[in-house]
Amino acid sequence: MWTLTVKGLLAHKLRLAATGLAVVLGVAFMSGTMVVTDTIGRTFDDLFATVYDNTDAHVRSAESVEVGFGMTDRERIEAGVLDTVLAVEGVAHAEGLVEGYTQIVGADGEPVGDPGMGAPTFGINWPERGELNPFDLAEGRAPERAGEVAIDRGSARRGDLAVGDTTTAVTQAGVVPVTIVGIVTFGGADSPGGASFTAFTHDEAQRLLAEPGRYSYIDVIAEPGVSEEELRRRLVAALPGDLEVLTGSEIIAEEQDVMREGMAFFNTFLLTFALIALFVGAFIIHNTFSIIVAQRTREMALLRAVGASRRQVLLSVLGEALAMALGASAVGVAAGVAVAAGLRALLAGFGIDLPEGGIVLSAGTVAAAMTAGVAVTMVSAVLPARRASRVPPIAAMREVAVDTSSRSRLRIVVGLLVLAAGVLLLAAGLAAPDAATVGGGAAVTFIGVAALGPVIAGPVSRVIGAPLPRLRGITGALARENALRNPKRTAATASALMIGVGLVSFITIFGESAKASIDRILRDAFVGDLVIDSGSFGFGGLPTELAPRVEAVEGVAAAVSLRGGPVELAGETTFLAAADPVRLEQVMDLEVTAGDLSALADDGIAVSRQVADGEGWAVGDVVPARFARTGSQELRVAAIYERREAAGDRFISLAAHERHFEDRFDMVVMVAFEPGADRDAVRRAVEAVAADYPTATVQDLGQYVEAQAAQLDAILGLVTVLLALAVLIALLGITNTLALSVFERTRELGLLRAVGMTREQLRALVRWESLLIALLGTAMGLAVGLFFGWGLVRSLAGEGFTELVVPAGSLLVIVVVAAVAGVLAAVPPARRAARLDVLRAVTVE
Amino acid sequence: MASTAPDPTTTTTVAAQAIDAVKVYGSGATEVRALDGVTVGFDTARFTAIMGPSGSGKSTLLHCVAGLDTLTSGRVLVGETDLGTLGDRDLTRLRRDRLGFVFQAFNLVPTLTALENITLPDALAGRKPDQEWLDQVIDTVGLRDRLGHRPSELSGGQQQRVAVARALANRPEIVFADEPTGNLDSRAGREILDFMGRAVRDLDQTIVMVTHDPVAAGYADRVIFLGDGRVVDEMHEPTAERVLDRLKQLGD
Repeated sequence: MWTLTVKGLLAHKLRLAATGLAVVLGVAFMSGTMVVTDTIGRTFDDLFATVYDNTDAHVRSAESVEVGFGMTDRERIEAGVLDTVLAVEGVAHAEGLVEGYTQIVGADGEPVGDPGMGAPTFGINWPERGELNPFDLAEGRAPERAGEVAIDRGSARRGDLAVGDTTTAVTQAGVVPVTIVGIVTFGGADSPGGASFTAFTHDEAQRLLAEPGRYSYIDVIAEPGVSEEELRRRLVAALPGDLEVLTGSEIIAEEQDVMREGMAFFNTFLLTFALIALFVGAFIIHNTFSIIVAQRTREMALLRAVGASRRQVLLSVLGEALAMALGASAVGVAAGVAVAAGLRALLAGFGIDLPEGGIVLSAGTVAAAMTAGVAVTMVSAVLPARRASRVPPIAAMREVAVDTSSRSRLRIVVGLLVLAAGVLLLAAGLAAPDAATVGGGAAVTFIGVAALGPVIAGPVSRVIGAPLPRLRGITGALARENALRNPKRTAATASALMIGVGLVSFITIFGESAKASIDRILRDAFVGDLVIDSGSFGFGGLPTELAPRVEAVEGVAAAVSLRGGPVELAGETTFLAAADPVRLEQVMDLEVTAGDLSALADDGIAVSRQVADGEGWAVGDVVPARFARTGSQELRVAAIYERREAAGDRFISLAAHERHFEDRFDMVVMVAFEPGADRDAVRRAVEAVAADYPTATVQDLGQYVEAQAAQLDAILGLVTVLLALAVLIALLGITNTLALSVFERTRELGLLRAVGMTREQLRALVRWESLLIALLGTAMGLAVGLFFGWGLVRSLAGEGFTELVVPAGSLLVIVVVAAVAGVLAAVPPARRAARLDVLRAVTVE
Repeated sequence: MASTAPDPTTTTTVAAQAIDAVKVYGSGATEVRALDGVTVGFDTARFTAIMGPSGSGKSTLLHCVAGLDTLTSGRVLVGETDLGTLGDRDLTRLRRDRLGFVFQAFNLVPTLTALENITLPDALAGRKPDQEWLDQVIDTVGLRDRLGHRPSELSGGQQQRVAVARALANRPEIVFADEPTGNLDSRAGREILDFMGRAVRDLDQTIVMVTHDPVAAGYADRVIFLGDGRVVDEMHEPTAERVLDRLKQLGD
């Protein structure tokens, strides 16, 4: 039987090649994603190992709050600890380091980096001891006096800065003039993971980044003969209990883990698209094998007639699938290396810069990608193989039987059940909320719709194809009939496209709804006149001196700053905003329904109605909170408000913020004008003040809303591009199905040519059929996308999703693109059909 | 043999003709001369049968004269048109507008109804069929009550009748039939031959039919015998018995 398998493979190699391509693309995307992640992981592993090469111990505060993405907000320590450390026996050297937000301003006046959306931008002190200095000077020298900085080479390149240039740096203490005296690399990288570093002198760093006399951590080198463990023991014994000591190996491992955790999100994000691609591929593999098995019914029957067992036939078909799966997966893994480079370029295009490094193709990646490719292929081929094994020997004597299973009652029942299961899973996943369950629910929903596909393919194609006969006469009528003649095949082919179109239209609907909701929320809640935005979400932003300066502008009634930071509130880590509670109402309408914002003081918290109801809090209740800087605290619920979307779910007063947080930046400053002020003049005056702060963007409400929408658009754009792969694979499926159909209809097409169909008409016939399949898939996809969009927006109603927008224009673009793509997918099979030898076609036995 | 060649000066009565037609398949040792200098004419409004043993070149001759295949050398004229001068597009148009076809099997497009199959060439040309003529053809083959059926709902004989109707529907200059009764039982076969005969006698159509069945050939006005790619004999007003006798002689 294996000989037969091999012969079968060779005989159908063209058809299998197209199917294999679907596997190759999915596997390549998956292995590409893993190669990118592995490569970055390795780069960072090496980086941290190099940077902390000489560090034997790392001393820091034990008080911290997890921020997410592996980041931690940690209290700084008193500088006096350094003396204690240096006095410990076995310590050769120790150095206090201070880290904090800094953004260097490029030659064009724009700050380098985007800590709100991308990698963080750090300021740090230049370490005195060479062994503890993570930087390698590439050009120039170390900063020696106030106003001098060394910056990383990546930032220098992005900001077009060189040694000797003067510019400014945005820090907590304000915008300071600096001179670049050195360009550094970091463990061999120009810019570690896109992060930017600005190194100041010791005193400047303390003054600008934190508070004088405080360090973020202390790095220690042991004397020869003192082990890391021994050093730690001694340090722990000498230091107070609110400090913790890590060995050099531990801090390397922790930094590596932190980076990996940060990357994990990224990895999952990309792998999701690889899985979608494989899922689409599964549809195509299933369809191709079904068609091939149907076309080989007589061959299978003959085998059975001459004595092959069912099992042998089953194994023969599965053997073909396995061989194809192995080959295609191997090619996919190899292609993944190329995809990795492409992914990196794509992400760079969307502003996500990844560090350079040698390509890492790990055994784990190869194994995972191969397994996925083979598993998807085999699972997809099982049903067709079973069908092949059930061909009765007598079929060898019969004409190929007509497949009538497309509209069976069983199919409708099973399809509806699967669909219902998918929708229930989706609902459960959204309610939890749990991304994996949502994804599973979506997949099951797609399968359910696909199972019902053959039932709806007929009626839907009839409607879509209704104008064809009038538009294109007999060619159009024939194309429509061809699309209708095998509803299972048409539906399966269209279903593959449905997935991509469904997800793209879902993303489009969701994005437009999100934008409309943001617009609505901001317009409802914002009663001020201008927004000065930093684009930051907590790390860095606008120096706090900006707001008072703006408020001093004539015609400005209030300039209200909004800050925030991480807190552990009632046991859960969350973001806690901060604002001046009284003046906040001058720029924002929060609809306070219980308590009073003016009672916030420095120990109160205001929460949204949603949070209050969810937690069962009432005004006057005391809530446990933990801050990195001040440890466990108690907050008193002072006010409950209804409009949660604008200021977030919870905030405290600025006074409380200053007590509990060490980093003080404004994310945004909201400005209200005096009644009757000359708006243009006041705005110009505010802009003049803001011009001193490179991270500040002055916008009116409309511009602010647009800027928020633009950020969303960038993310949606990236997602759409990544989904395009799923659409591309589906188009391969259309090409493949049509090629198989053309092959199957050789005689019929030959007859048409014999009685006078021109080549152009024949090409049009294939093209129109392809277009019909594409439009059917698009229609199914739009229906599913609409449903998903509706479901998600409705389930997020509590999160401020008040608007459900169905963007007809964008959806029409999707239809047009899918239609054009459908026509393009028909090019190879149409060409093949047109080249068909008329005589051979009509005389074939 | 010279007496069987058409007089080139009387082309008005010749619907199609092959002149010194040579068709060679393959080359070298595997070379096969399917047609080896055939010169033959097919008269207008006559029913001509082409007979010969397997490999005699009868199907090749039909295919070449019908514009489905091209000659290695020699000429084919349909009316005044030299097929050798036509490209694929013009050949296709010629088949569509001026010729009709009936094949042994698989004559109909399965997705079209009987009527749609009959009017297919006109539909491909974007023309309205000549309704009066169409009615006449449909009545001749007796398909009035089957027009809305798909081929899968018709018997083999009915399918061939639809095919004959399709071949006649655009009032072609010639209808080419390649073993039209080959897949039918003898009763259905007789019906088809009857229709073809009536199409020639009553509707003045021209039919050229390849067959290996002496009974089928008996319906023709004239039989041309081929052997080894050459015209070896012809017979006017044949009967099945005379054809059978002649075939026996030729076989010896």
